Amino acid sequence: MGVSFVKVYKANCNKLFLDNMVNENLVKDVVKEPYKYGFVTDIETEKIEKGLNEDIIKLISQKKEEPRFLLDFRLKAFKRWQKMKEPDWAALGYKKIDYQDIIYYSAPKQKEKISSLDEVDPKLLETFDKLGIPLTEQKKLTNVAVDAVFDSVSIATTFREELAEHGVIFCSISEAVKNHADLIEKYLGTVVPASDNYFAALNSAVFSDGSFVYIPKGVTCPMDLSSYFRINSGDSGQFERTLIIAEESSSVSYLEGCTAPMFDTNTLHAAVVELIALDDASIKYSTVQNWYAGNEEGIGGIFNFVTKRGKCLGKRSKISWSQVETGSAITWKYPSCLLLGEESVGEFYSVALTNNLQQADTGTKMIHIGPKTKSTIVSKGISAGNSKNSYRGLVKMGTKATGSRNYSQCDSMLIGDQASANTFPYIKSQQPDSEIEHEASTCRISEDQLFYLQSRGIEFEEAVSMMVSGFCRDVFNQLPMEFAAEADKLLALKLEGSVG
Amino acid sequence: MQSKMKESDPILEVKNLSASTDNLPILKGVSLTVYPGEIHAIMGRNGCGKSTLSKIIAGHPSYNITNGDIKFLGKNINSLEPEERSQSGIFLGFQYPIEIPGVSNLEFLRVSTNARRKFLNKEELDTFDFEELVKEKLEIVKMDQAFLSRSVNQGFSGGEKKRNEILQMALLEPKIAILDETDSGLDIDALRIVASGIKRISNAQTGIILITHYQRLLDEIKPNYVHVMSDGQIIKTGESDLALELEKKGYEWTDNFIKET
Amino acid sequence: MEIIEKIKTNKSIDNQTEIQKICLDKLQSSPLPNPRSEQWRLSNKSKLSNFLEYSVNENNENNSKFEIPYPKNTQSTIRLIIGENCQIKLIEKNYSIQKLSEGELQKYIKEQMSFFNQNENWSDLLNLFLSCKNNILGLKINGSKIPPIEIFSHASSNSLNAKTLIIFLEKNCNVELLQVNLGEDNSSLSQSTFFCLEENSSLNHGVVSYGVNKSNLLNSLNVIQQKNSEYNLGSLHFKFNYARFEIRIKQSEGNAKTNIKGMQITKKDEQISTYTKIDFDGPNGFLDQINKSLADDKSHAIFEGSIIVPKIAQKTDASQLSRNLLLSNRAQIDTKPQLEIIADDVKCKHGATISQLNEEELFYMRTRGITLTEASKLQLSSYFQEIISFIPVSKDRWDLLDKILNEN
Repeated sequence: MGVSFVKVYKANCNKLFLDNMVNENLVKDVVKEPYKYGFVTDIETEKIEKGLNEDIIKLISQKKEEPRFLLDFRLKAFKRWQKMKEPDWAALGYKKIDYQDIIYYSAPKQKEKISSLDEVDPKLLETFDKLGIPLTEQKKLTNVAVDAVFDSVSIATTFREELAEHGVIFCSISEAVKNHADLIEKYLGTVVPASDNYFAALNSAVFSDGSFVYIPKGVTCPMDLSSYFRINSGDSGQFERTLIIAEESSSVSYLEGCTAPMFDTNTLHAAVVELIALDDASIKYSTVQNWYAGNEEGIGGIFNFVTKRGKCLGKRSKISWSQVETGSAITWKYPSCLLLGEESVGEFYSVALTNNLQQADTGTKMIHIGPKTKSTIVSKGISAGNSKNSYRGLVKMGTKATGSRNYSQCDSMLIGDQASANTFPYIKSQQPDSEIEHEASTCRISEDQLFYLQSRGIEFEEAVSMMVSGFCRDVFNQLPMEFAAEADKLLALKLEGSVG
Repeated sequence: MQSKMKESDPILEVKNLSASTDNLPILKGVSLTVYPGEIHAIMGRNGCGKSTLSKIIAGHPSYNITNGDIKFLGKNINSLEPEERSQSGIFLGFQYPIEIPGVSNLEFLRVSTNARRKFLNKEELDTFDFEELVKEKLEIVKMDQAFLSRSVNQGFSGGEKKRNEILQMALLEPKIAILDETDSGLDIDALRIVASGIKRISNAQTGIILITHYQRLLDEIKPNYVHVMSDGQIIKTGESDLALELEKKGYEWTDNFIKET
Repeated sequence: MEIIEKIKTNKSIDNQTEIQKICLDKLQSSPLPNPRSEQWRLSNKSKLSNFLEYSVNENNENNSKFEIPYPKNTQSTIRLIIGENCQIKLIEKNYSIQKLSEGELQKYIKEQMSFFNQNENWSDLLNLFLSCKNNILGLKINGSKIPPIEIFSHASSNSLNAKTLIIFLEKNCNVELLQVNLGEDNSSLSQSTFFCLEENSSLNHGVVSYGVNKSNLLNSLNVIQQKNSEYNLGSLHFKFNYARFEIRIKQSEGNAKTNIKGMQITKKDEQISTYTKIDFDGPNGFLDQINKSLADDKSHAIFEGSIIVPKIAQKTDASQLSRNLLLSNRAQIDTKPQLEIIADDVKCKHGATISQLNEEELFYMRTRGITLTEASKLQLSSYFQEIISFIPVSKDRWDLLDKILNEN
């Protein structure tokens, strides 16, 4: 693939300089760069049987010792789901998923109750070490609290005591169900109702674990919070659920990372994330998604069908999504904001990079309901190889959204002439005293720019990577520091494969 | 001289004016009276409220008057529409004249001039007569006729926009002209043209308010009064030498003033 | 489905042509346009079924002769009315305009139909099923210095009318053509137009569609551009209870130029929509498109556009802009400009804005004594002017700006 790209690229580029610059061997080396996180942890796991029915749901709920209201929530969602049809409107093509061929609960075998990190299976700790997310006391990342999720369960959360001092609750959602049932019952499913869409309904029925965050009134969370999701089993789906509540005048920055081993089968990941911001609260949610994307022929990889939505309930509340999407065979994801509170703000900053046979259909929905609400959308899509990268977004001004504003900018960069870049903005207004502005453009790396950089002694590969990184700058600037550096590296790595 | 002026009625009286936009107070009790033949200068830092004052006098819909009165020729104009204020003789020269693509400058000037003429019970001008008039006025600002066929302010340089403002003032013959930073962004030649334009138009029956940062326009047009604004209030009023003093000592000097009544 | 049945019974089955049979077949096998299909998602269902409520008017001779409204014909313009006897055969020194033969027509329509996508070309299928021989005008035009042409389609009251226009522009030919679609009270007009622009030909095409309160329109325009052809379209749709303007342009070999400036105005509870699909099937294609909408009262204006740039269409330069004015808080605007791109060496961009009249511009004019109403009119006329001045033939004779600004 990579080599054929070079041929195409050569055909397009000015032969005078390019032939000298591209070394075929270098290119081949780069193509062979493997997916770094593709290993499997050999650990004894407890799995339930494949398939999905009411009994399985009852079993999951029972394993997690859930209260009655949650089992009812699950069963109701399951009934809904059975009546729903798998969506086919997105520009995605994939093999039909057999929902009876998936394991809905898989957990590493551990002691019944773990009271400290020392009791966590060393193999698990080692796994997260290898992923660059050390969890142990000695090595853990400073300034970031981590909730590590392995297949269906959360195995550890760091810095809990420190956070508790500030009244911040950060734990797995299973724990929250036990210890903060009132908050779960009050908020779960209020932003993404079980009936919202096919995959949200499925998640509501079978979700296994995920993170829960509660920031009390007036508290600025003293450190970034982070969840790290790791899929290990090849035949189980991952259905995590995240719920973040920011009370009045509080603020939090939350980071999410994901990886999975390489299997030649497709694994389904159908997560639901719900954010709630009350008066003057602000939530920043950043994702670097690097699920296994499948190989060059498109075999294997994660089907990433997630529903992420935030509700700006309070006045002057703010929800900001930033994402760097580089992984998964198929991504289907529209982190959205419901702007209810007066003067609330929604933001969406996205970089989506697709290569080989990856397909990404991503974007956002900004629903302006309250007056003087503002939203900003910046989306950068980079398509290489034979991939398909679509931006799909909705901006809607409701009848009461007086004095509201939206600005959207969606740029695509094409690398090679086999990849496709699509832009589908749906724009709707019912309020004359509001303004919507949308701009989109397509570009490729220009020969002149490349030549300029190269003439200053910059290697071809690096020149490309610099330009892509420049193309994405507006979005990277929105990421928390540690993430921005990671995203830049990740993109460069992914791209080496495509340009090479 | 001064006392003689005051024998007539004032053109403009701003009394204890407070105003806000989006619930944010901008003016906090401004009073200012302009008699025929007077030139007032208002100085102050960026954001002190001097541009807002000019927009409120012209009737900008984004500002709410929360207290006080604006009287023009003895009548309260608080609730008049911007066009009614203009027709009755209030002129605002904008700091940043907006570009209106697609609307021809000539047509715009004609409709506007006729609106004022109608108010004055003068005969409205047809295209031919108007062109005669406008050619005459172009002389004042030394503008080329080509400006007339372009869209309003579109693609005009900073200096051209300001001259277009003075041209409009010459056509409308207002009773009072408020010129908001008409001097900013002008080179020395353009400044002279603008200043001489203003002088041509001012007379014993009209009033002029110059809003400015700098002394250089005031070197060309000597004001009778200088007001210093800060945080939505006039904190000091003096004669033309106040501007010179301000130029020398800077705005820090005024920070110490307590509001004078 | 029911409605199709109704039309079928309404229309005599005995003398159906082969084409009509194919169309009926396709219409019956495809569902009625519904919200599930992207192209019809926002179309008002009850207005669309209202469109089909009227009985088909096949026999024009029963009606009194259609009076063309102002302006009167002038010597220098060729004026044709579809449905009235258009026996035209002009062979002059520089040019010729001739009717297509029955065989040529059949062949061309069949060829076009093979490209139809049932969902996308539903309007054309309906049109070709309904329009009878009298209502199909086919022309081939050759040469240069051709006088401007005006072609009228009109729908008479209380009936559903279908008119079809097919024009071949032969090589190196330049034409200015204004198409006027008029709807009377309580009428439906189905207008399908097919143009084929051969190499080096150029067409300045105007479409002016206006009705009265209760008229409906399905206006479908299909253009095939061969290389080095230039197609310029200026269009205006207003005063229809329901109108849908579909534009499909194919640059079959690339290397062609397309300029589109369209405008739709909706008031009361009207719904007017414009759908455009531009296919670049070869390299070096050029598109510059702007679509403007204005929605007032309780009306609904829709624009959906797609630009499709496959791998073969390298060096395409395409731009699409959707500008919308929303003047009432009971009105609604939907817009969706789309790009689907595979070729990498292209310049493609699109943009969309929805707003009301610019407040600062209004204020500026008001401080110069111009009333709010006048200032709004000045702004609106500059908003319209860009489109109207692009409509050929009309600009000197039809006073479109006055019609729009002064009608209520």
